[in-house]
Amino acid sequence: MTQVLAIMVLPLFLLAGIVAAAVLDRAVPPLVAGRSLKASFVGPITVASSRAMGQTGATEHPDTISWILAPILYFTLAAIGLSVVPFAPGVVAADLDAGIVLWGACESLTVVAVFLHGWSANSPLPLIGAYRYVAIGLPAMLLSMFVLIAAALPAQSLAVTDIVEAQRSVWNIVRQPAGFVLFLMLGLSLSLRGPFDFADPYDLAGGTTAEISGAARLTWWLARLAMLVSVSAMTATVFLGGYLGPVLPGFVWLVVKTGLVLVVLVGAGEVFARLPPDRMMNLIWLALLPLSFLMLVAVGVELLLWG
Amino acid sequence: MALEGLAGALVIAFVAASIATVIRLAPSGSAESLTEPQKTPFLGGGAPDTHAWQRYHIRYYPMTLLFIAFEMEMMFMYPWAVVFVEEGGKAMMEMGMFLAILSVGIVYGWREGIFRWQ
Amino acid sequence: MAIAILRRLAGAAPAPAFPAIGAGMRAAADDLFLDGRLIRADSIRHARILLVAGPVREADQDDIRRLHDQMLHPRATLWWKSNPVRDFAEPATCDEDDPVAAIEAIHRALIEGARDSEPDILPNEPPNPWRGKGDYGQGGEGMMGGTPYGRPMAMTDDDLRDGLALDAYTAPFGPFLPMLPPGLKLSVTLQGDVIQTAKLLRPPSAQAEAYDGTVTALRALGRFLPILGLEAHAVRCLEAARSLSAGKPIELAKIRQFLFWSGALAAIPSGIGMVEDTDVRMRVERWLAALDESPTGGLDGSATMSPLKPARLVDLLRGREWSEAILIVNSFDTDTLISLAPVEAEDAETEGRAREDGIRMDHEGHGTHAHGATGT
Repeated sequence: MTQVLAIMVLPLFLLAGIVAAAVLDRAVPPLVAGRSLKASFVGPITVASSRAMGQTGATEHPDTISWILAPILYFTLAAIGLSVVPFAPGVVAADLDAGIVLWGACESLTVVAVFLHGWSANSPLPLIGAYRYVAIGLPAMLLSMFVLIAAALPAQSLAVTDIVEAQRSVWNIVRQPAGFVLFLMLGLSLSLRGPFDFADPYDLAGGTTAEISGAARLTWWLARLAMLVSVSAMTATVFLGGYLGPVLPGFVWLVVKTGLVLVVLVGAGEVFARLPPDRMMNLIWLALLPLSFLMLVAVGVELLLWG
Repeated sequence: MALEGLAGALVIAFVAASIATVIRLAPSGSAESLTEPQKTPFLGGGAPDTHAWQRYHIRYYPMTLLFIAFEMEMMFMYPWAVVFVEEGGKAMMEMGMFLAILSVGIVYGWREGIFRWQ
Repeated sequence: MAIAILRRLAGAAPAPAFPAIGAGMRAAADDLFLDGRLIRADSIRHARILLVAGPVREADQDDIRRLHDQMLHPRATLWWKSNPVRDFAEPATCDEDDPVAAIEAIHRALIEGARDSEPDILPNEPPNPWRGKGDYGQGGEGMMGGTPYGRPMAMTDDDLRDGLALDAYTAPFGPFLPMLPPGLKLSVTLQGDVIQTAKLLRPPSAQAEAYDGTVTALRALGRFLPILGLEAHAVRCLEAARSLSAGKPIELAKIRQFLFWSGALAAIPSGIGMVEDTDVRMRVERWLAALDESPTGGLDGSATMSPLKPARLVDLLRGREWSEAILIVNSFDTDTLISLAPVEAEDAETEGRAREDGIRMDHEGHGTHAHGATGT
């Protein structure tokens, strides 16, 4: 019964999240640029309608099927990833024993979706964006898996529900603060944002999006926002105790925490500079990955000594 | 519980894919069909001589090989994470050795220049 | 009903315009897109309006036609202080300093259907004939004959960095790519994302931007920062440049502070784009230093404006990864860039054509060759 409830709540949660993310996307850049703040709910809706109205283009002999499937796959992965997140005690759409394995699968298939999206256009700028993203997407995924394993240690389980319950004593952000930051970086990478936007950057005239328009662009945009919401909810669940919190009902706590992570991610996307892809790849392998090892060892030692 | 969970994930996947498909394939306001000049790849004005698909020179082949080593290692880590607290120090030692070997792999790869963009 | 609502909403959206910028209009175009009623489209596919700003060079006319036809319906062109290119029926022009109202009016009329979408200019033909001839309709015979699906495939060549013989992809980039200075058109041969050779087809359009210490530095930063993913910071810089030109006081300390925290300098690789012992990072540092000085004085212009005879842009780009190359190109102001791109442009272009023809002949050659092989 609670599962049915969760399945009904999930689309609403995702929709509300997408709207919130779209509003933030319009509100945060002016804020960073030091201009007057005009957050409106109508703005994103008008932009979405404008895109829906336009003709959907194509290039000469693209891989049409992959081109259509890529944004659909991306959006679906975001939703599946969100399905392992418990909205309240016991209310979860997919209560799996190996929840974080399913989440990890969604992460890795995202690389496939983004690559296909750029590759299938048969156009040089999207193609470069696609290959470039793989170089960053693969090692970024490793980071998140080490971080998630470190979160699973104290729970003695791979189920996301157990990981939340294990945070009753102390949140994972306290156990592994660096892991939290690494996971936020993964969030930027999964939703193609700011310093980790190697697929759709300005120096490739929009990268994988350079050849899409109309409904294709609308779907890609929604999928990116959906992935942002999904990764925010996952961050809130794994590191910030998910639905745990005093006084207010659990669901409200999850919404508040997800919103907070959303704001941080959108802000970070605007504030930090993007490295060239080769430097970023080096940074991830030589600095961030060893850091995630250390986090894992630190959590392990802590559990052995005081757990 | 596992079966129910899987069913839940499948329902969500089906619903999300349906929504995305409807949005992607919804008819737009304009009915005109695409013409050949409309389909020229965008290069800021110029037209390309050849197809963009090519035997693309990715600059990170060796990195992807190292990546595979790490991905396989994840298979080992999932069950390890579950039994870690029960097994205690022994599990810690095992994973410590494993990570150490992998770290040596990274250092070796770095010395060989596999992270260079070439 | 649903369509009517969609139309009303879409009409209220900011107008997505793609600027094709000509001589002397770069700063004006940068300022124009600070307006919230417009969206600067990165790709022509995201635009509903092609905004041609300033005079169009003779050589760029074909590119404008192609860009126009690449736009999706409904679409329109606005000629802002420009001379409409032949073949454009009933061109909409605007000679005011502020064309936002004109763009908005066209956009709304397009959405509401009051204005017809512009038809194609170029003939509706595939780039190469391919249907009907050959075993697979590729327009030739044998393995390498004809052009499958209208274009040939790239051919292999040795790579600069590791000598691996994979496909070398050659294409013209520009003159109206958002991340290249307007007017600059390069024929670039890529292996993956590393530039093997770059050939100058057309130099950037002259911009005649008077050198003015802080304002120049702010504008340069405004064009450079989006490459590092710092679009919002770029807007802050451009807005500051506009205010400063209008004589309004601005807070420069904040810009420096934000840029420091963004890690922009650390993100730029050192040692690329070396000209006269300064690399890209040092040139950006110089802009930052110019922010500290008084708005009127600024750093001595000679440092950035000196003629750079020995260096050539195409040599600086050779062997560079794509994003590094874009950083290099944008680290020069337009005048310096023009001096780095010596105008053998005419020759370069004819050369480019010759090369194009060469490829085509090559393919025909391959075709007969392969045919001969199968014959024996």
